[in-house]
Amino acid sequence: MWLAGIFTIVWMVCWALGIALPMLLTQQLGDKAALTNEILRAATPVIAILVFIPINAMFMVLIERRALALWTVRKGPNRVGPDGNFQTAADAVKLLLKEDITPTGADAVMHTFAPILFFAPSVFGAVPLLAAVTNNHPLFRVLNLPTGIFFVLAAGALPVVALVMAGWASNNKYSLVGGLRSAAQAISYEIPLVLSLITVCLMAGTLDLVKITEQQAGGILNWNLLGGGALTGLNNALAGGGAKALATSYFMGPISYVCAGLLVISLIISFWLYLTGACAEINRIPFDLPEAESELVSGYNTEYSGMKFAIFFLAEFTNLFIVSSITTVMFLGGGDNPIPPYILNNIPGIPQMVAAIRDSYFCSTLHIINPETFFATLWVIAKVYGLVIFAVLIRGTLPRFRIDQLMAFGWKRLIPLSLIVFIIVVFAREFVICHG
Amino acid sequence: MATEIQEIDLKTDEMIINMGPQHPATHGVLRLLLTLDGETVKHVEPVLGHLHRAQEWQGQNRTWFQYQALIDRVDYLSGMFTSWAMARSCEQIDGTVVPPRAEYLRVMVSEMNRITSHLLWLGTYLIDLGAMFGFPFYPFREREKLFDLFEEIAGQRMMFNYIRIGGVLRDPKPEWFDKLKRFLDEFPDRIDEYETIVTQNPIFLKRTKGVGILTQAVAKDYGVTGPCIRSSGIPLDLRRTKPYSVYPELKFDVITFDKEGDTWDRYMARILEMRQSIEIIRQCIDKLPSGDIMGKKQMAGMRIKAGEGFAAVESPRGILGCYVISGGGEKALRFRWRNPSFCNLSVLHELLKGCPLSDIMAIFGSIDVILPDVDR
Repeated sequence: MWLAGIFTIVWMVCWALGIALPMLLTQQLGDKAALTNEILRAATPVIAILVFIPINAMFMVLIERRALALWTVRKGPNRVGPDGNFQTAADAVKLLLKEDITPTGADAVMHTFAPILFFAPSVFGAVPLLAAVTNNHPLFRVLNLPTGIFFVLAAGALPVVALVMAGWASNNKYSLVGGLRSAAQAISYEIPLVLSLITVCLMAGTLDLVKITEQQAGGILNWNLLGGGALTGLNNALAGGGAKALATSYFMGPISYVCAGLLVISLIISFWLYLTGACAEINRIPFDLPEAESELVSGYNTEYSGMKFAIFFLAEFTNLFIVSSITTVMFLGGGDNPIPPYILNNIPGIPQMVAAIRDSYFCSTLHIINPETFFATLWVIAKVYGLVIFAVLIRGTLPRFRIDQLMAFGWKRLIPLSLIVFIIVVFAREFVICHG
Repeated sequence: MATEIQEIDLKTDEMIINMGPQHPATHGVLRLLLTLDGETVKHVEPVLGHLHRAQEWQGQNRTWFQYQALIDRVDYLSGMFTSWAMARSCEQIDGTVVPPRAEYLRVMVSEMNRITSHLLWLGTYLIDLGAMFGFPFYPFREREKLFDLFEEIAGQRMMFNYIRIGGVLRDPKPEWFDKLKRFLDEFPDRIDEYETIVTQNPIFLKRTKGVGILTQAVAKDYGVTGPCIRSSGIPLDLRRTKPYSVYPELKFDVITFDKEGDTWDRYMARILEMRQSIEIIRQCIDKLPSGDIMGKKQMAGMRIKAGEGFAAVESPRGILGCYVISGGGEKALRFRWRNPSFCNLSVLHELLKGCPLSDIMAIFGSIDVILPDVDR
């Protein structure tokens, strides 16, 4: 309850700052200057992201510390502000005020540039996701790319360079080992990660994030997690299509049913592969070798302090958030309600509630939100933070791999498995009507 | 003809890393000079003495009474054992007869102390393995409960100064035993909890199985004692091999493993020892005789007869010996400690040779070294 309350409030603050305010401005100036309007329209998502990322990261740190404390019989932050809620804000201010130290013998340019290169991709990598997670909200439609997921992945591959830079430029042996480890790890785990996403793209037949989200609309059975459309026939049948819908989707009879089952299993494995690869990609336990505290002091960021360290820290949590968002969009139906509409609309009160929101002052007059975006955003929040908390739970449970075991696990287990899944999907999808 | 294979001579350098004394995982202030080839350890040289506090010298410059309070700090996780070793060696010289109730109480509190020490080891070891914020705090929960019990009888939570020359400080109230029994009843479940999450955890197994194998020959050569040598299959437990106090009257077996011990065996040995300690404490509560608890008058100027004595106890880390020469005065002429941590640490370079960098902490953590105990 406490968590739910807090993150709704924080989200609302982010939302008001990042989305509602620019939009109001857009409206105010809309009649007077079309150019200003256009500029604002283009700038709004960027502003939204820039405002959202630090606040969100601060809040995620707080959640992480809270949740960890809960699971490890501790109290967690409880001093700064009511119930310790301002703890991370205070930490952020402290970090920004700290002296910025560049160690002797360090490559000053690279040392400074590394955190920027680490952080920047997480900002522009998040941009195409915006349209997808807000159910293609008109404000964010500008930044939707036809090759959205490709762009996000490409942006996500950049920070590795920054880590190696940071490790090398610090003139510290621990940092160097950390940087090299991160390079090795990222290269190994990028492959299963991308392969698992390619599997999803194959099912969807597109790289467009918005399209992928739209395909998955209509309840949990349509999600890519459960077969990427392999169960859509079942969903349609349940929605009232009856046996005819089944026959249309599973046109080959028993073979189709078997293939649909295979697809479901494959996509669930892909989901797991993606989570594992993503954990390694963003250096979370059990794959946090680049910053293994008990071995490498702090890994690549050992020699960082003050603002530069703050940026590293910020980027790490932002990466976690982005990875969770990608998972949500690619596997968990984006902003889709897990309960299919044919059940939801029969629950008394729900359609009326949606109508009431649509007719309310905020929607009809101010156009701040529309019900679709509103509910989509709520579901995205729930899913993304669910994944974030899942990552925290893993952190609270598992010890760390050794580097050679990590590599062996990546190359000998994950990559063959992702290839097998990929091949199964290639063939099985021919026998079922699915999203793509 | 056979094709000539050209060997490319890629020149690589070894890297010397200075791990510690300020390093998050060296358990205090150990400094390890590592020579690394890539991530493989070529050579390791522990540099000791960062925490040298001249404990032996202090013993010769303080009265018996003062030094009793000081030696808890030598091995701060198992203060009862250092006190006990000193008390026993002094009693040996002095010929003091320790009342049976005091002996039983000593065994009880020592075994409790063994549990707290192993619990802390368990928590920190998991930190060494990278379970940074998760599991390690659970053992601390139980450790605090035991500390509450210690506080009631000794007045302190860690530096007990409870076992004194000639007996023990204070007789616990009857309620104390009830609390202890309640703890003993729930504690096996807690150990089960730890085991559920750790013992068969695949990552934990990967990190510990077959890592840091301590062969019997090496263990004997370096004088390794405690759970480390027992997990290598040598049943060396002073409580059985050279029984002291009331241990002969208690039923328990020496925990050993058949094969040469790896890191996982050392972990398991400690878990089993905790379970064993529970049984020992239970037996002590049942057998506890009534009577006096102090065989020598405690006062600031107390003297020990002239002579020399050596006594050893089985501490959580191994054999803890205390050698004393007394001139019959208020102070000792000479103190000499045989610290298990020091001897166990000396085996480190044998274990670490050729292992990857990440295993340093897995192995170093598993031999359970307390730095103040090493440097004294």
